[in-house]
Amino acid sequence: MLTKKAFVLSSALFLGLAGCSTAEKKEESSGSSGGGGGDQTVVDIFQFKVEFKNQFEELAKQYEEEHPEVDINVQTVGGGNDYASALKSKFASGDEPAIFNINGAVDVQQYRDRLIDVSDTKAAGAALEGTLESVTEGEQVLGLPYNQEGYGFVYNKQIFEEAGVDADSIKSMEDLTKAVETLDGKKDELGIDAVFAFAGKEKWTEGNHGSNSFIADDFNGSVMEAFQAKELPFTKAEQYKEYIDLQNKYSVQPVLSLDYSQQVEELFSTGRVAMIKQGNWVYPTIEQMDPELAENVGIFPIPVDGETKMPVGVPQYWAVNKNADEEAQKAAKEFLDWLYTSDEGKEAVLTQFKFIPAYEGYDADKIADPLSKTIYEYAEAGNTQGWVFLGYPVGWSDILGAHLQKYLAGETSWEEAIEAAKNDWKKARQ
Amino acid sequence: MRNKDFMFWLFLAPVLFALGTVVLLPLIYGIVYSFTDWDGVNAAEFIGVKNYVELFSDQGFLNSLWFTFKFSIASVIVINIMGLGLAMLVTSYIKSKNVLRTIFFMPNLIGGLILGFIWQFIFTKVFDAVGRATGIEWLQGWLSDSQTGFWGMVILMSWQMAGYIMIIYIAYLENVPKDLLEAAQIDGANGWQRFRNITFPLVMPAFTVSLFLTLSNAFKIYDQNLSLTNGGPFDSTKMVAMDIVQTAFQLNQMAEAQAKAVIFFIIVAIISLTQVYINKKKEVEM
Repeated sequence: MLTKKAFVLSSALFLGLAGCSTAEKKEESSGSSGGGGGDQTVVDIFQFKVEFKNQFEELAKQYEEEHPEVDINVQTVGGGNDYASALKSKFASGDEPAIFNINGAVDVQQYRDRLIDVSDTKAAGAALEGTLESVTEGEQVLGLPYNQEGYGFVYNKQIFEEAGVDADSIKSMEDLTKAVETLDGKKDELGIDAVFAFAGKEKWTEGNHGSNSFIADDFNGSVMEAFQAKELPFTKAEQYKEYIDLQNKYSVQPVLSLDYSQQVEELFSTGRVAMIKQGNWVYPTIEQMDPELAENVGIFPIPVDGETKMPVGVPQYWAVNKNADEEAQKAAKEFLDWLYTSDEGKEAVLTQFKFIPAYEGYDADKIADPLSKTIYEYAEAGNTQGWVFLGYPVGWSDILGAHLQKYLAGETSWEEAIEAAKNDWKKARQ
Repeated sequence: MRNKDFMFWLFLAPVLFALGTVVLLPLIYGIVYSFTDWDGVNAAEFIGVKNYVELFSDQGFLNSLWFTFKFSIASVIVINIMGLGLAMLVTSYIKSKNVLRTIFFMPNLIGGLILGFIWQFIFTKVFDAVGRATGIEWLQGWLSDSQTGFWGMVILMSWQMAGYIMIIYIAYLENVPKDLLEAAQIDGANGWQRFRNITFPLVMPAFTVSLFLTLSNAFKIYDQNLSLTNGGPFDSTKMVAMDIVQTAFQLNQMAEAQAKAVIFFIIVAIISLTQVYINKKKEVEM
């Protein structure tokens, strides 16, 4: 009996305490957003890039020291879907951030009512040509690019050298096939399991990146054209097949259960395969796994039509929230300007964040890793191809990925898979 | 017994409040949203039953529903046989039974996501290595086609749930009166007859609980699905819960996902209620 009483009492106490503490918390937070704590302007940033969370917070602190009138709160929620759903619940709950991330045309459409024009910022003026395309609406610029990324075949220079293959000479699919056959013939001497590690389990790597190389020309490399297209011509489907078949044939098997981490960490970083189709984002992982091997990686673009253009694009943009109060909007813009156009900001973008800058006026020599450097060189030379996959219908890249998996599993023919993917595109754009 | 007075409601209030805010209210909201075109961000417009009508032509949803059915049936059978088997084992006269109970229960304490990754390693690495070493073909290439994806999920689910179900069966098995069994033995009933005619009817109530638990758990499974196969290959192992999440957060069709969830809710409710009803009728009272 006594214990029962004690239990009831203690739980009542606990409930009471919990009630108090939530009430207090509420007051506190409403106080600060109402301009409490001096005359500070609070800028809430809600961003998705987990990889540079710490460095970014450091930089925000540095900014606060220089600008004591601004209080920056950085909140990071990781990658892809989690970010989108977390952002939605933030908006739904009324706790809206001043700065958030959008991925281009598709998000612009969805969040249109919440975006303000940032064309008056210095950063917008300094953005490299083409990087603003998917967030431009008439005269208005609705987002500022994070960085640039590029992808292609990431290869192990040492293995290529030992096999006597020159990556720079690969200019067409025939060259690539020949190089792959050479590598495959010397598999035992080179000590590799296979030439490729083809991550067939990941729908995004082909659904987004691989397909982009063969679809970009249908839309003249323009995201917006892809975004508005009612139908997908897919004129290079046959070339795409060659490319998929080549990777599949010379990959570690079974490809359909091979995922991104196996591909990058287990197989490529340990030197068990000669190349993988990925982008500069794999570099930090390789460096962590094996710093020596990391110095010896290179990248070359997927050859299409006998040409090798590097697919370079902007994965995410910063957007400023219309619902934030005006002071916060102004402070947000100033912060973004500082981030990409001040000397401190530039330094951090290159050396701390290890970004490939999407803005002019950066010292390319400071780009640390070889993959990013190669990609930036292609970008500077203008030898690039647009990222049209950001203009695919919502969810279509996963649909394409699923159709390709079906083809790889031998459950459907190539023609059927492509036809089904085209139909799904049409349906999504009705 | 006075049970409807002020004190009754006072003590019930916290639970009612919690249930109302985290279960009932969201359910009502969800049903309301399923009749709109809400995309998760912009204001919603009422569009009637359009979402529901479209569901029946949504091949992806129907496929995942069918897959979930198959998966649930297979795992309910496997889990209950395993659970009862393990329970019989640890209630028999073998020595290390206390240790065994703990060990069998342990998988249940590991989170679904982690289990998924552990089993992914077992299926794609260990199975593969054993298959290669012994030349057994069916052990190779697990999770790379829809068949092994399906059985992979069933094995994972059974391994996790069997220990939990075992505990329920143990409770009932230990309550089976020894004198009845002994009397039957003296009358000349063999092991199977004793099990079939005495033990089995007496642990029937355990079936109610276990079938209900396994069925609804198998239906609602998400994290194991996510980490083991992620729906692959080609969405052939995508279960309903995952389809709903993807519709909501990848395709931004929040309202359509709500409609799917409402259908899902109705199906689970119907199955569970029928099962409870049928089993209750069959129970044997001592």
